[in-house]
Amino acid sequence: MTTALVYSALVFALFVLRAIYVIIFPPRKRFSSGQTCRLAIFLGSGGHTSEMLQMLQGLNFERYEPRLYLVSQGDILSAEKAAEFESKSSFPPAFTIVTIPRARKVLQPLWTTPWTTLISLVSCLQEVSFGLVVRGKPFADLLLLNGPGTCVPLFIAVFINRFLGLPSPRVVYVESFTRVKKLSLSAHLLRPFVDCFVVQWPGLHRGGRRDRYSDWLI
Amino acid sequence: MSSDSKCVFVTVGSTKFDALVAAVLSNDVFESLKKTGFDRLVIQCGNSKVPLSPRIWNDEILLDTPINGISTSIWRFKKSLKDNYAAADLVIGHAGSGTIIEVLRMGRKLIAVPNETLLHNHQAELAEALDTSGYLIASPVSDLAEAIQQAMSKDFERFPEYDGSKFSRILDEEMGFI
Repeated sequence: MTTALVYSALVFALFVLRAIYVIIFPPRKRFSSGQTCRLAIFLGSGGHTSEMLQMLQGLNFERYEPRLYLVSQGDILSAEKAAEFESKSSFPPAFTIVTIPRARKVLQPLWTTPWTTLISLVSCLQEVSFGLVVRGKPFADLLLLNGPGTCVPLFIAVFINRFLGLPSPRVVYVESFTRVKKLSLSAHLLRPFVDCFVVQWPGLHRGGRRDRYSDWLI
Repeated sequence: MSSDSKCVFVTVGSTKFDALVAAVLSNDVFESLKKTGFDRLVIQCGNSKVPLSPRIWNDEILLDTPINGISTSIWRFKKSLKDNYAAADLVIGHAGSGTIIEVLRMGRKLIAVPNETLLHNHQAELAEALDTSGYLIASPVSDLAEAIQQAMSKDFERFPEYDGSKFSRILDEEMGFI
């Protein structure tokens, strides 16, 4: 009985240590010019999508390709905007669009959120982790997030990969230009864990190791 | 439109903003508009209530007639408001970031009116911060008449153009390209 307890405490401690280790020392692959970086982009609908597509306009798409757009289920507008954006780009289109179930729908009661978040997480895992097995190639080298809710399960899926030592993308979170004094909920949740956390107003900059303040990116 | 005509364009965005439409059609605001030399008012009212008894022309145009000497048109939606921004000497809008950025990049004077009935009160924060920097005037619905006077005499700061290299640099550094 006591040995079982000791063993489970030990296993638990190892889990926690492993989690802390991957938070502090996330795996990092460095690229050199000439290489291409596979980019995954979460489009969070409405203003999130507009801001994200605007930021992408400045990228060298020969360097960041192919691109994978993740949109929430039912968000047809974001999928259309992504396709339109790619077709207008001066670089050859090299992209895919996939949908994932929402973590929380607009006006959904808060108490049902854990359940829908779980469904969303399974679908994110399918893209981020199982896809690795099925397609034999990692999900992406870089994942861009800018809220809202559904990007949390997406990040958890990435974190599970890291925990298991599987290939995982570097994660950059950009807080919206509209957030001046207070972070959004998803930014609050993800800030301690993502690899690079960008804010666009000085009042939000806390100066942590991975925190970054930038002039307006839109 | 003759070159000495002066137009104000009001937009509520993709939903509705009853209080803004009501305020724009109030006597105070009409007086303020006349004092500053406006002779044309165009309102994109979305699904807002319109407090006149509008003469329905068709589904789109609710009203197109002079009121107190200002030629006034009211309609619900249009796919792009770009032409209306371009034709306006002053834009009065809800404080949505999309509208703010588009109007300011076109170099138009803007009064941003935060919708206090919305939960997204960070929109008010954005409008106030941009007001502090001198890019626009943020005004509650109740002070609109006063804000119009201010807007027409104020020199606004020019809103910075989009610069894609900033985000590109962040990612390139993050991935080790530079």
